This record gives sequence, structure tokens and C-alpha cells, in this order.
Amino acid sequence: MKRKHQRMSLLGLAALAIAGAAALILTAFEDNIVFFHSPTDLVTKEFSPTQRLRVGGLVEQGSVQKQGDGVTVRFVVTDTAESVPILFKGILPDLFREGQGIVAEGTFRNGVFQASEVLAKHDETYMPREVADAIKATGQWKGDE
Amino acid sequence: MNSATALLRRELRLAFRQGGDSLLVVMFFVLVVVLFPLGVGPEPGILARIGGGVIWVAALLAAMLSMDRLFQTDYDDGSLELLVLAPAPLEVLVLAKVAAHWLTTGLPLIIVSPLLALLLNLSPSGYGVLAAALALGTPSLSLIGAIGAALTLGARRGGVLLSLLVLPLFIPALIFGVSAVDAALLDLNSRPPLLILGALLLLALALCPWAAAAAIRQATE
Amino acid sequence: MHSFANPTRFLRLTRALQPWAAGVALVCLAAGLYFSLFASPADYQQSETVRIMYVHVPAAWMAMFCYVAMAAGSASFLIWRHRVADLVAKATAPIGASFTFLALVTGSLWGKPMWGTWWVWDARLTSVLILFFLYLGYMALYNAFDDQARGARAASVLALVGVVNVPIIKFSVDWWNTLHQPASVVRLDGPSIHPSMLTPLLLMAVGYTAFYAWVLFLRVRTEFAAEKIRALRFRQAAVPPARELKSQEG
Repeated sequence: MKRKHQRMSLLGLAALAIAGAAALILTAFEDNIVFFHSPTDLVTKEFSPTQRLRVGGLVEQGSVQKQGDGVTVRFVVTDTAESVPILFKGILPDLFREGQGIVAEGTFRNGVFQASEVLAKHDETYMPREVADAIKATGQWKGDE
Repeated sequence: MNSATALLRRELRLAFRQGGDSLLVVMFFVLVVVLFPLGVGPEPGILARIGGGVIWVAALLAAMLSMDRLFQTDYDDGSLELLVLAPAPLEVLVLAKVAAHWLTTGLPLIIVSPLLALLLNLSPSGYGVLAAALALGTPSLSLIGAIGAALTLGARRGGVLLSLLVLPLFIPALIFGVSAVDAALLDLNSRPPLLILGALLLLALALCPWAAAAAIRQATE
Repeated sequence: MHSFANPTRFLRLTRALQPWAAGVALVCLAAGLYFSLFASPADYQQSETVRIMYVHVPAAWMAMFCYVAMAAGSASFLIWRHRVADLVAKATAPIGASFTFLALVTGSLWGKPMWGTWWVWDARLTSVLILFFLYLGYMALYNAFDDQARGARAASVLALVGVVNVPIIKFSVDWWNTLHQPASVVRLDGPSIHPSMLTPLLLMAVGYTAFYAWVLFLRVRTEFAAEKIRALRFRQAAVPPARELKSQEG
């Protein structure tokens, strides 16, 4: 084989490998990578009470209550089908509010999720409060509140 | 192709004659893993949870350990320049050297990994996935490491520099390797991270030989 | 493009442009800081914490922009052996590393009150951390050889290898389910950020870019000066001491 032909066939092989990699990544995304469980998973599947889990969902409207000790918060996350009560002791992130999406990490026992960490997810919209209020007033609000 | 297989055979013969390298790497791998129960305490729950990650980190360090020898001896005695001048494409020769490196250091790690999983109280459902993830991941480590090894040829404090260059590039393989093992232990689907590890390997196969060959050319010029 | 490869012409250009870059940087950064800290509204969800964004987002943009500039310089050095391109890449590395560090620190300061954590190992944050290590690796490799030319070539190859990371950073928020929010300004259906907040952000972005140009020109000229001094020293070492005495008398 000539040197030039060798180079061309090597380039061809490399291109083939890259195409294969792209195909594998696409199949991987079809399988839906699980970063957290939905409340439905928690209720329907069996989990060991010591196993650490992540649960993600929307905070149910009107469900956030401070407990008697002043630091523990109890709220409910839902995926609209099922909902799970969460107990969390600590400081909640500023973006935590009813209707917002959150991810909590902890253990699930006796139907209650004991969270050791609660993370809030932010969206990519930035606007002043007055503008947000004005949009809400005209009824064109498409956000999460 | 002939010259590549000849080179591969030479590398393997050298490794077997000297013998020590594979054994040393495996011993290092086992020792690092064994240090963890002593460091974090022998509680089975904690060990089972961090076990996948510990084995992966130890595998990265073990792969690093032997990496700086990949081209250095050939560079010192001048045979690397002969490889550059050889009629066969340098990329293929690099691939042959990397294959030899993986057969002598990566493969032994995979073989002993179930034993280490046992020591760390990993639940048996994770053994197969751990071995599969290492089988897909360690060749990528050898390929990426080859770039670093070629770049640091003749550098001052080459070994330290090599880890600074290569360990950040190992991070994707580490993330998906560990998440495959964790998924298997949590009874989640471990197929997606394994597929991504496979994709990483294909990408490394396609790109790393070119980069390493370019680095070798500029080192010997 | 190739006409800039001539060092004399390039030096003349940088000398002419440097005061302008400095002026634009100072004016835009001053105005941008005033707008972002005092004269812009608070966000409807994040309230005052949104002001960190004006420092964080342009820093993250510049972190990627500097890497692309460094890689382009390295490529043209490897292909056409342009000395100027190599010096531009070398001078860009510490600036880019500083921008990356700034983006990481300010992001962390924003993440604690907003997300509830200083740091998460999601795709966006991890890939930016890798970018930071690539900058450090480039600088370390550049200086690791006794032969400076060898260091320049090796570091250039590393810079090109690291380019793989740039699209991963950019698209990580779309490809993976990350905690980091997706792009707000550069997107197909127009920015999802209110004009009163976009203005200070863009002012800061222009200021950062001009600041980069200013420091880059300064560093490249310093590199050339250092090289000239080194050459003079060599020449001085080569001439016998007797002539040196004579030249002092004269």
C-alpha cells in the first residue's frame, strides 16, 4: 500500500469510530439516564430503608410547614400522579418555593423521605419583579408559579 | 500491519522477560484499595457505597503509574526515532504500543477487580458491571495516557507533570465508570453509562493515536 | 491574516491598539459595574443575588473564548510556525485561567444561596473545572523543558487536544439533566432575559473582552522585550571583557 492510501484508510477508520461513538451516545440517551426517582417510583418500588436515594418533583402548593422545633421543614413533592412527604432539617435554598422543581437526597422509610440535602433548580429566565407582575396581571404568564 | 504486530509482539516479549511491571501495577492497585477500609473504617455499609468509586480511582492511579514508561525508554535509547522514520504510519505503531500497555497493565486490573469488590463488601450484583465498565474504560485510559506520555518526553519532573495533564482528561471515564457500578448496585439501568463508556473508547481510538503521534513527532524533531 | 505573523508589524499594531483597548475596558467596566450593582432591577425570583450573574456570565464566556483563541494560536504555530501566534497563545493562557477561576468562584457564591450548595458535580461545573486544569496543564507543560521551543510545541499540541472540551461545556446544559440553567442570551428564539438586565450584562461582556485585549497586548509586548533582553545578554556574554571596558570609556 502507498503511504497516501494508508493515510486515507486510517482517516476512514477514525471517521467510522467517531460515527460509532455518536450512535452509542444516541442509544444511551434513548435509555433515559436516571439521575433521580419520581415520587411514583418511591411509592411503587421496594427500596431498602438504609439506601440513599434522590427524589425529584414539584413542591405541592400549600404543603410547606415549619415543624415544632423551628428548623425542620415538612413539605410534599409530587409528579402529579403520586406525592411523597419530605422532612428536611436545615436551610432551604432561596429558590425553594411552592410550585418550584427540587431534587432531594436522603433515605425513604415508612412512607416519609428523610432528606439530608435539598437542591432547587433554576430556569433561564431573568426579569425584574415589576415586569413579572405585569405579565401575570395580563394573564399571559407561562412560568411555574 | 505487519510492522504493528511485530512491534506489539516485541513489547509483550519485553514485558514478559522483565516480568515485574504487571505484577507491580497490580500490587499497587490492590494496596491502594486495601488502604481505604483502614482509612475510612471497616463499616460494611460505607465501604459498599463508596466501593465502586474507590476501585475506579485506584485503577486510574495504577494506569498512571506505568504510563511514563510507555515511550520514555524508547526515547532514551533512540528507537523512538526509528519508529518515526518507519514506513508504517506512526499512528498505527502508537496504537500497537498502547495495546501492549493495556494488555500488560489494564487487563490484570480487570482480572483482580472482583476480588477487590469482595474485600469492599460490594454486593455481588455489581461484579459483572464493574468488570465490564473497567474493560471498556481502561483502554481509554491507556489511549489518553499515551498523549500525556508523548507530550512529557524529556520534560523536567515528567511523572508529576504527566498526572497533571492526564488525570483531568480521565474524569469522564471515571464519572461514567462509577455511575455504571452505582446504577447496578441501586438496581437502576446500568446500560446507558456503559454505552457512553463504549462511545468514549471509540472516540479515544479515533483521536488519541493522531494526537500522540503528533506529540512524538515534535519530540523527536 | 498572515501579514500579522510579521513580528514588527504585529508589535506596531499592538502599540497602536493598546491604549484604545485600555480605554474601552475601563469605560465599559465602570459603566457595567454601575449598572449591574446599582442601576438595574432585582430579579423576580433571585432578587439581589442576580447581580453576581453580571460578573459570572461574562467571565465564563471569556473562559471559553480565551481557550479557543489559545487553541487557534497553537494551531497556526504548529502549522505555519508563526512565532507571534505562539506568543499570543502563551500570553492568553494565564488570562484565560484567571477568567475561569473567576467564573468558578462567583458561580459558587451564587450557588450557595440559590441552589443550596457551593458545588455540585454536574456536567457544566465539572467540564469547566476540567477547562481550568487544561489551562494549568498548558502553562506547566510550556515551562517544563530546558529547550523553550520544545515546550512551546508540546503545549500547543495539548491546547489542540483540549479543544474537545469546549463544545462539551457549551452544550452540557442541553445534553444532560444538569442543575445549571440553560443559555439565556445566545439561543435560537431570542434572549430570555429582560432588556434592563441584558444591557449591563453586554456592557460587562464588552468590558471583559477589551480587558483581555489590553492585557494580551501588554503581555505579548513584554514577551518580545524579554526575548530581546535575553538575546542582548547572550551577546554580552559572548564578547570579551576588554571590549566592554572600552565601551564604558566611550
